Amino acid sequence: MIHLIRNAIHEGLLNIRRKLGSFLITLLMVSLSFMVFDIFLIISWNLGTALKDEQENVGIEVFLSDNITEVQAVILADIVSGMEGVRSVYYVSPEEAEAVFRADLPEQADLLTLLGPQFHLPPSIQISLHPDYRTSEKVGALARTVSGMDGVEDIVYGKEYLPGLTRAVDILEKLVILAGLVLAVSLSLVVANTVRLAVARRALTVQIMSIVGAPGWFVKVPFLGEGLLTGVAGAAGSLLLTLAVSWMLSSSLPHDFLPGRWIMLVLILGASSGAAGSWIGMKSGIPKPRS
Amino acid sequence: MMITFGNVSRFYNNWPALESINLQVQPGEFLVVSGPSGAGKTTLFRHIWMGDLPSTGTVEVAGYRSDRIRKSDLPFLRRKLGIVFQDFRLLPERTVFDNVALPLQVAGTSPKAIRRRVFALLAEMELNHRRGSFPHELSGGEQQRVAIARAMVAHPVILLADEPTGNLDPEVSRMVIDLLIEINRSGTAVILATHDPRQVPAGTARFLYLERGRLVNPGVWDGYKQL
Repeated sequence: MIHLIRNAIHEGLLNIRRKLGSFLITLLMVSLSFMVFDIFLIISWNLGTALKDEQENVGIEVFLSDNITEVQAVILADIVSGMEGVRSVYYVSPEEAEAVFRADLPEQADLLTLLGPQFHLPPSIQISLHPDYRTSEKVGALARTVSGMDGVEDIVYGKEYLPGLTRAVDILEKLVILAGLVLAVSLSLVVANTVRLAVARRALTVQIMSIVGAPGWFVKVPFLGEGLLTGVAGAAGSLLLTLAVSWMLSSSLPHDFLPGRWIMLVLILGASSGAAGSWIGMKSGIPKPRS
Repeated sequence: MMITFGNVSRFYNNWPALESINLQVQPGEFLVVSGPSGAGKTTLFRHIWMGDLPSTGTVEVAGYRSDRIRKSDLPFLRRKLGIVFQDFRLLPERTVFDNVALPLQVAGTSPKAIRRRVFALLAEMELNHRRGSFPHELSGGEQQRVAIARAMVAHPVILLADEPTGNLDPEVSRMVIDLLIEINRSGTAVILATHDPRQVPAGTARFLYLERGRLVNPGVWDGYKQL
């Protein structure tokens, strides 16, 4: 059995070596198709990361009345921190707010001097949320609850951009899945066609093998191997090409390359497209032996 | 019995390619099946290696019955048979050695055993000096000898030769027939399909005549000179 498996693999490699030129052309075609997908994945990955970073910063800023004492503000912050979805609460005193204003907007610091020593920025509470509570509905619900509490003057959270942001992340994830499926189907068809051509080219070999007593799998393994190799090597080749393009563009267009698990996803997609393509190609291509 | 045809008929779109064939072949027998083109000789052979199955009746070959055989059994049946074709059917991209080694490779024989057996067989058939050649570099006679070597390499119990001399000149044809007789003498059953049974000396074989899918005058051939 070991010799039989070894012979089947050897047969597959021999077939590739005999038609190396056409195999390399197919490989290039698959690599280029995958490259489009890789580039799309990189754009999605970087856009998704940026959107997630934005979502990470989603929180609620609660401005308090000028006449609230620090003790009352701390009690209020304590009540808010016990609410569902709240990860942490931070009290910003008027003095700290002024220091932050001066640090963040130094060119407008004179404004505070002009308004005089009797002007104070209002104290506030910054609410950080658990990741699951960063959707527009949940943030809005929490903001409405907090806004009804005594001592609360105003509430600020990204109500304008938050729904769009949530939708954008959602659409992006769906687009990646859709593009992956479309690519998998089209690559399966490319590989199927290649395998069908390979089967037609080797029709005599297939017939003779069957007549001299080769088991069905022995005849099929070389074609399956060729399809798998085309898929995996094509996907790997596309990653190398994309890496080169990414490296060339990195200075003018800063971005991250795909993370490890996405690279694995591309390789698995390549392998499964290759295997599916081989199966389709063999199903319609392998002739019955004749005399 | 090595081969038994029990009232076998095969129809293609109601056209009878074989009709009511009853035939038995004993181990080590030499059988010559003759008849004009389209008489059903090749269809008969296809039923022996079960590349085709009867419409009615049953074929039994080396213990495998056509009405019970599973797809997974076919390789095991075919490893007991050697098949030679009129057009040689050698794989053009493989050397003589690789062509002859193929049945052993697909049966999972070790590379060492393959080398030993193929070298011995090629030497026996005076083809050793050609083992690295490709089919297109050989003469017709050499190609047919390679095809016979491929058919014999796995020690089959039955050798099927379908018009093996059809593409050869008379002198080379005679050599091929002699080779088949020699193979038969070593104990392998040989079934030869030919449109010219006079190639085989009388007394060396049992002769059958097929016409329009029917066996005519089955039994020991005693009048081939009258053809």
